[in-house]
Amino acid sequence: MIVRCISWMRKHYSLVQKSFLAVLAALLIGDLWVPRHHVFFLGDEIPGFWALFGFGACALIILGSKWLGHAWLFRPEDYYEKEGNK
Amino acid sequence: MADTFFFHPALLFFGALPFIPVLKGIWRQALVLLVPLLAFTLVLGFTSGTHGVVDVHGLHLVFGRVDKLAIIFANVFSLMSIIGAVYGLHVKEPWQQVAAMGYVGSALGCVFAGDFLTLFLFWEGLMVFSTALVFLRKTEKSNRAGYRYFLVHVTGGLLLLGGIFLHYHQTGSIAFVRFHQETAGLAEYLILAGFLLNAAVPPLHAWLPDAYGSATVVGSVFMCAYTTKTAVYALIRTFPGFDILIALGVVMALYGVVYAVLENDARRLLSYHIISQVGYMVTGVGIGTALALNGACAHAYAHILYKSLLFMGVGGVLHVTGRSRFSELGGLWKYMPYTLVFTLIGGLSISAFPLFSGFVSKSMVISGAWEDHLQWAALGLTLASAGTFLHTGLKVPYFIWFWRDKPSFEPPKKEAPLNMLIAMGIAAYYCVLIGVNPEGLYKLLPFDAHYHPYTAQHVMESMQILLFTMLGFFLLIKKLYPEPKVGLDLDWFYRRGAGYFMAFCRNVLRMLDEQVIKNMHRTFALPLLRAFARVANWNDQRVVDGVVDNSAQAVLSLGDHMRVFMQPGILSRYIARTLTVLAGIALLALYLR
Repeated sequence: MIVRCISWMRKHYSLVQKSFLAVLAALLIGDLWVPRHHVFFLGDEIPGFWALFGFGACALIILGSKWLGHAWLFRPEDYYEKEGNK
Repeated sequence: MADTFFFHPALLFFGALPFIPVLKGIWRQALVLLVPLLAFTLVLGFTSGTHGVVDVHGLHLVFGRVDKLAIIFANVFSLMSIIGAVYGLHVKEPWQQVAAMGYVGSALGCVFAGDFLTLFLFWEGLMVFSTALVFLRKTEKSNRAGYRYFLVHVTGGLLLLGGIFLHYHQTGSIAFVRFHQETAGLAEYLILAGFLLNAAVPPLHAWLPDAYGSATVVGSVFMCAYTTKTAVYALIRTFPGFDILIALGVVMALYGVVYAVLENDARRLLSYHIISQVGYMVTGVGIGTALALNGACAHAYAHILYKSLLFMGVGGVLHVTGRSRFSELGGLWKYMPYTLVFTLIGGLSISAFPLFSGFVSKSMVISGAWEDHLQWAALGLTLASAGTFLHTGLKVPYFIWFWRDKPSFEPPKKEAPLNMLIAMGIAAYYCVLIGVNPEGLYKLLPFDAHYHPYTAQHVMESMQILLFTMLGFFLLIKKLYPEPKVGLDLDWFYRRGAGYFMAFCRNVLRMLDEQVIKNMHRTFALPLLRAFARVANWNDQRVVDGVVDNSAQAVLSLGDHMRVFMQPGILSRYIARTLTVLAGIALLALYLR
C-alpha cells in the first residue's frame, strides 16, 4: 500500500510539486486573516514573516554550514583511523 | 510518610540481571519484556513521598524520593524500556540485554535519588552499562570509541564527585535539591560541569556522536534516551534559573544543527540532533519559569520517544543493509516502506509538526523564552527548529529511502525484523498520541503553568516555518548531497590532539631526556665540578699555603731578631741585665712588705 502510494506520487511528480506550491501560497494568503493574540515580537504582526524566516533559516543553515565545512571542518572519513593511533 | 506504596523499580531491573544470561529463548524474551512492563505499571501507581531512607555514618541517603518531577521522568524511562526491550528481542546473545537492563535501572536510580551520593552511585552505573553497549558492537572502531566514551565520562564523574565533596564540606549537606545562582560557588559549578558533560553541552559534547554512532543497533536506541535526559532531570532539579544555561542551551541547539549538515553517517547525524534538542531543554532550565521548566520536562518526554523512534528506524536500516552512511544508501523506499513511514513520523515529531509530539513540547520552551522577553534566545531556538526539520525530517528520509532510484548495493530482501517494526509502531503511536492529545502529557507536568499549543496563530507560524524550510531544502538540494567526510569536532583534542601529544612526548621530551638530561653530568655537572676544583686549588695554593708559609717565615724572622737581641755575646750587657733584674726584685720585695 505504501509502496503503491509512493510510486503513484513519483509518477505524478509535477502534480505533487504543484499542490505543494499551492499549499505554500494558501499559507501565505491565509496568514492575512489569522488573529494575533500573543504578539511578542515585530515579526508576529507581519503576515508571511515566518515563511520568510523559515526559508531564510534553511538557506542560512545549509549555505553557512557547508561553507564552514569546506573552509575548515571537513576531513576525509578515515581521518582518525589513518594516523589516530600514533 | 511511608503510607503510600513504594517499590524501587530499579530493583526489578537489577534483580533480573543475573537471570538473563541463564535463561534461553522464549523464557529470556519473556523476562526481558516482563520487567519493563512491571516497572511501568509500578511507576503509574506512584504518589509523592519519601522512601528508602538509610543513615550511613551520619550521611542521610535517600533512595526513593518520589515527587511529580521524578514521576514524569520515571514514567517515560520505564515506557522507553518497554519499547527498547521489544526492539532488542531478536538479539541472540544475552549481554546487550543485560547491559540495557542495568542501564535503565541506573537511570531510574538517578531519578529517585534524594541525595547526591545515591545520585552519583547510579550516575556511574549509567556510565558503566552504557560503555558496555558500545563495546558490544565488537568492532575495532567501537572498541576505540568505547574507551574514549569511558574516559570522558570518568572525567565527568570525577567533576561531579569533587563538587559533591566540596559542597558537603562547605554546607554539611548532600541533599539533592535546588541551588541558587546568588550563592553558588566552586562546588556548585563543579557539580554543574559534571551534569553538563552528561547533557552533552558544548564544549563537553563530543563523546555523544562518537559513541552513539559506534554503539550496537539496540544499544544506541537505549543510549539516546537515558544519559542526556538523566542529566536534564538533574539540571531541572538543581540548577533552574541559572542564566548561563540559557546561552549554553541556544548555542547547543544551533551547534548540533550546523554539524548535522556536515554529517554523512545517519546515526551520527541523529546524535548531533540530540545535542540540538537537549539545547531546548537546557534553555528551558536556564529560563527557570514554571512554563519553561514544564517545557523542559515535556520536551524530554516527547524527545525520548521520537528520538528513539528515529534511532530505531535508522538502526533497522543498519541491521538489514549493514550501512548507515548516506553516501552509500538511497533508493530503499521499495524495500523498507514500513521503516520509512515510522522514521517519517519520528522526523515530523522532532520537527514539531502540528499533530505530532514535538509540536506540543518544543513550543512550550520557545514560548517560555518569548514570555521572559528573551528575544534572541527565542529566535535562535526557532532557527534551530527549522534546521531540525531540514535534517531529521527531510535529509534523513530523503537520502536513505529516495535520492537514488535503486540502492547502489544488492537490495535487501526483507523489511526490518517484526519485533523492530512493532517497537517502532509503539513509539510512533505515542508520538502521535501526545501530539493529538497533549493534555495527557500536560497533566503529568510537575510545575503549575497552563499552556495551549493549538492556537490558529501558533499553527500558522509553525506551518509557515516548516513548509518554507521544505521549499528551501528542495531548491538547495544539490548543496546537500552527502559527502563522505567527517567534520572536525572537539573530539579532535583527544583523538588527534592526544596523538600529537604522544608524538611530542616521544620526540621532543625523549630528545630532551636523551640529549640534555642524560648528558647533563657531562655538559653541565662535570664542567661545574672542574671549575669548582680549580677555585679550590687556587685557594689551597694561594690562600692556605700563603698563610701557612708566611706565618712560618714570620716566626723564623722573629726568632732571629730575638736571638740577636737576647744573646748579643757581650759580657758587660749580661752583667747589667742581671743587676737590673736583682734591683727590680729587691724593690718589689720592699714594696710588698
